[in-house]
Amino acid sequence: MIFRRSILLLLILSLLVLPGCWSRSELNELAVIVALGIDKYEKGYMVTAQVVNPSEIGLQRGSVGASPVIVYSAPGHTIPDALQRILSQAPRKLYLSHLRVLVFGEEIARAGLSDVLDYISRNSELRTDFYLAVAQGTEAADVLQVLTPFEHIPANSLYSSILISNKQWAATGKVTLQQFVTELGREGANPIMSGVEIIGDKQQGQTVNNLHSVRPKALLRHAGLALFRGDKLVGWADETTSKSINYLLKDVHTTVGYVKCPKHKDGIIGVSINQSSAQIHVKINKEGEPEFWVDFQIDADLEAVQCAIDLTQEESFRLIEIELKDVMRSITMRSINTIREKYSTDVFGFGEVLHRKYPKQWNKYRDHWPDKFRQVKITIDPHVSLRRIGSIVQPLRREVHE
Amino acid sequence: MKALLGDSPDIVYRSARLGGIESWFIYVEGMADPRPLLEAIHFDSMLVEDKLDPQQVYTHLKQPTIASGYLSEQQELRQVVHLLLTGFTVIFLEGMTSTLCVDTNNLKTRDVQEPASEAVVRGPREGFTESLSDNLALVRRRIKSPSVRVNAFTLGTATRTDTAIMYLEDKVDHEVLKELRRRLQQMKLEKVLESNYIEEMIQDQQYSPFPTVCNSERPDTISANLLEGRIAIFVDGTPFVLIVPALFTQFFQSAEDYNQRGDFGSLVRLLRYFCFAISLLTPSFFIAITTFHQEMIPTNLLMSLIGQREGIPFPAFVEALVMEVTFEILREAGIRLPKSVGQSVSIVGTIVIGQAAVEAGFVSAAMVIVVALTAIANFALPAFNLAISIRLLRFGMMAIAASFGLYGLIIALIMLALHLCQLESLGVPYMTSLAPFRLKFQKDTLVRLTQPMVKRLQHKGGEDQ
Repeated sequence: MIFRRSILLLLILSLLVLPGCWSRSELNELAVIVALGIDKYEKGYMVTAQVVNPSEIGLQRGSVGASPVIVYSAPGHTIPDALQRILSQAPRKLYLSHLRVLVFGEEIARAGLSDVLDYISRNSELRTDFYLAVAQGTEAADVLQVLTPFEHIPANSLYSSILISNKQWAATGKVTLQQFVTELGREGANPIMSGVEIIGDKQQGQTVNNLHSVRPKALLRHAGLALFRGDKLVGWADETTSKSINYLLKDVHTTVGYVKCPKHKDGIIGVSINQSSAQIHVKINKEGEPEFWVDFQIDADLEAVQCAIDLTQEESFRLIEIELKDVMRSITMRSINTIREKYSTDVFGFGEVLHRKYPKQWNKYRDHWPDKFRQVKITIDPHVSLRRIGSIVQPLRREVHE
Repeated sequence: MKALLGDSPDIVYRSARLGGIESWFIYVEGMADPRPLLEAIHFDSMLVEDKLDPQQVYTHLKQPTIASGYLSEQQELRQVVHLLLTGFTVIFLEGMTSTLCVDTNNLKTRDVQEPASEAVVRGPREGFTESLSDNLALVRRRIKSPSVRVNAFTLGTATRTDTAIMYLEDKVDHEVLKELRRRLQQMKLEKVLESNYIEEMIQDQQYSPFPTVCNSERPDTISANLLEGRIAIFVDGTPFVLIVPALFTQFFQSAEDYNQRGDFGSLVRLLRYFCFAISLLTPSFFIAITTFHQEMIPTNLLMSLIGQREGIPFPAFVEALVMEVTFEILREAGIRLPKSVGQSVSIVGTIVIGQAAVEAGFVSAAMVIVVALTAIANFALPAFNLAISIRLLRFGMMAIAASFGLYGLIIALIMLALHLCQLESLGVPYMTSLAPFRLKFQKDTLVRLTQPMVKRLQHKGGEDQ
């Protein structure tokens, strides 16, 4: 009995060792990829991987002056094919789970991203919370080679600045894989993506020297939004247009703007927007054509008053609100017109609203929506409320005059 | 007699002529103090006379022994020897078959002191001593109820140790009581030197890391348990009193919970359950996620962990195992060493093992934190015997985590839960109040409700016990 029991025990214990620790890997056997760049290369892709250099990021060790990340590039017919080739350069197993940003070169973005995104969505090792970006006017490989001061790992720097600037400024986009693929599949809406560009000297940015100067030789900057039609990049939205897009997509947390000063036309008033909501409505008019209107609701605070308006009068606030409404209306209208006329893409999702409300009518427009979108009537209906005026009441300029 | 006991110098044989009858006083020096008895006999004028017949002397001798309390008349040699060895003075009279055994027990006992293993901030400072009768009295003092019952046993064929069980007639579960009596009578033990000798014999399952018998050296804890209907087992010679039946949740309770405010008591008790989890799982969880599930670690934390692990020559499991074993060695050494040396051991432990090992690059700083946290959480548990079982299980968990990751860890936890649910303590399910779930026990399981809250609940129709 005891013999049989100990045999059983031995068998159970050997179970701990014999499976060979399938899929086990120690932390120091991994090459953690934090950013991946994909460019066009002959018939396939050129994949660039930014890998963390572990000995440089620990707190006590490091400061040998080596680069905090290492960049590997390899071509391949498919992305996994290229990753395999990278393996021949890197000493460790590539680990994709902690990817922070995925950067596409402009060229490949214009050619279409669906084939690339297939691998990215299919791979189970990847989480879906990383951000997508398009390198404006350059290759993704170049973007990944710029070293960033302040945040040691460039991918982290990109990640957090996408996050922060979207939250505070609203002129940049924050698009994850999940969002992009969902937008891609929707009828009557087109996706957008953040843009990133290198400012300064590309060559200098690739060396550790970039980290040593007070004013870095090269920096990464977010440059507006990349507009897509289907999976193809069609153009770039400038700052104002990007803001308008974000307003309509309800992705504005806080941002700042300015309006002309009512009555005193020589000055301007700076406002910050803290709350905003936008709702697209649609109805079919008498001619049987769809007609859209957008309900805007904006809460604004006075930030900087650069004119001599009398803020003790309630009248002044009404005038500022009217001024704000006009500005909102004209800017938004201008942005919509630019996008629909120049790029004929519907990144706002007007078509989707129509599709949801009048699914039968939608069938008429489905196949030529971008063209139809150019002609439909859109009105903007903003509501603005001024909330706070800050710690002082009257503008300082006014006090100087008196 | 001499033939039976051998010629030990600590057994004193004294002969005297009482009333003209040859008589022998036998006692064990140190255990018995026959002086008051001898004095009383010495000053007894009647016994100075000669020519009394043995029966007269025998009857007369019973008088002065009153001063010494307990008196027993024994005919059987075996019984006489047993009494002699428990501190009685035995008087043999020539011509009498019966002997007088007088209780002259004068064993040196320790004073009642503060219990070392269960210190409290607020609450009584009394702890049990090694004397059975003192211990019984300490509990009696707290429960002045006529329903307190004490049954005495003598256990151990060689040691003949006095043991007693105590319970409240009107609260105890008589099924459990019957079962306990049966187990106490059935066990064949040569020696009973501490209550653990009994604990091992009466527990339900031999092969379980979890203790199914609770112990305490605090009279107030024992009293509270008796009032809850449990049975206490006192063993002469040890301050640790056993309590049966023991439930899993009971090991998380401390006397302090009831002596402090209810809300604080509840919070501390929840903290202990948390510490139980930390102590059992932290190293294995750490191993599992750093070697199998790196995607679960937040990216910034992973960067920091990777930086620390760079250049560490061992796999995470070996690293954890070495640190855990080192800590166990330090702890064991710390207990054995005298207090003055103990301090230097802890300094060597912290500086050499902790700091130097990290600086030398043998172990990562994160692992030292994990091991230290585990060890400290282990000390936060009030029951030492449960803390030991966690220490044992932790190593198993680590091995499983190192081979199967979180998947294996979850399966191990499920198996542990199954094991806990099938355990019994004297026929009572070990997880009672949680599984099987008893709503009425919840007032004192995870949290402790205050007395008025309990009253109000009872008032609303919830029954007690």
